[in-house]
Amino acid sequence: MSQFDSKFYDFFTHPDSLEPMAALAKKYGYSGIVVTNLKANEGIILPDDFSIYKGVEIQAKPSRVREEIKKHRDSNLISTVRGGEEDINRAAVESEGLDILLQPSEFNNVLAKAASDNSIAIGFNLGLLIRLRGDARVRELKNMRIILKHARKYKLKMILTGDSGSIYDLRSPREMVALSSLFGMTPFEAIDSMSATPESILRRKSPDYIKEGIEII
Amino acid sequence: MKTLPTLREKKRYIAFEINSQKTINRQELIREISNSIISLFGDKGASEINPSLMSFEGRFGILRCAREKTNETRAGLACINNIHGILVSIHVLGISGTIKGATEKFIQQSLVKESEPEKG
Repeated sequence: MSQFDSKFYDFFTHPDSLEPMAALAKKYGYSGIVVTNLKANEGIILPDDFSIYKGVEIQAKPSRVREEIKKHRDSNLISTVRGGEEDINRAAVESEGLDILLQPSEFNNVLAKAASDNSIAIGFNLGLLIRLRGDARVRELKNMRIILKHARKYKLKMILTGDSGSIYDLRSPREMVALSSLFGMTPFEAIDSMSATPESILRRKSPDYIKEGIEII
Repeated sequence: MKTLPTLREKKRYIAFEINSQKTINRQELIREISNSIISLFGDKGASEINPSLMSFEGRFGILRCAREKTNETRAGLACINNIHGILVSIHVLGISGTIKGATEKFIQQSLVKESEPEKG
């Protein structure tokens, strides 16, 4: 299938050891990963055509999230907020400069509209489907269906990620497509959210970028 | 008794590679695969998928499933995360219509690919 020829990225990983993770991701067909807990990365041998980007996971009280996002706004780190209750989701989508809101629960039209205005991508955490069983997984699948419905309606950007903490949590792009079909995502949307959306975020973070639609050539 | 070709079940063979902390045995893997598929699709879905492990030797294996259900089987395999506390991940190498095809095209090829960089 030619649709699997594009470049794939996993935008939210926090591996305990970087080198095996990079080697395995390369083997599975990824072109890059974003690591949120990256320390010094000197001395690590990366495979060819593979890049590691620095990211940051913003963890704060709902009342402090806005300030934390503002702090990282002009850096080239890819910022992610792990979604949760209404107030943290609200604070995240309403502040400009955030890249990804991961798996918000109780998603609604107000949040979707705000996310669309600030061009924040909504992340689906497939790691939850891998690690949870029973009632908890049912709840997350239900939640993902609701997010997907809103994301389609408001044409939000979507991101698929494995939230992997070790090499045993990483899944190849085809597996991610199969997992995303569990909550009704089409293969086309799934591939877009692993290649096109991450590339657009990376473009936005590059130094040549000025504003939406304006770029130094 | 031999069934008519048109009434035979159509099947696909999934070649996979397992990545685990410790080696796991065949019985444990069979139980975990059926557990995962049943917990994901229920008894009805599992009967439609009809999974059965054809061969497995510690690292590579071949799983048989119904022809129309390859995507569901892939999702079921992807959901396997640990077997009795040992962390594992299953990576599908490819899907073929025959056991021979799955072995030659995917398992042998991935072994060849691994040995090449050491030579050059």
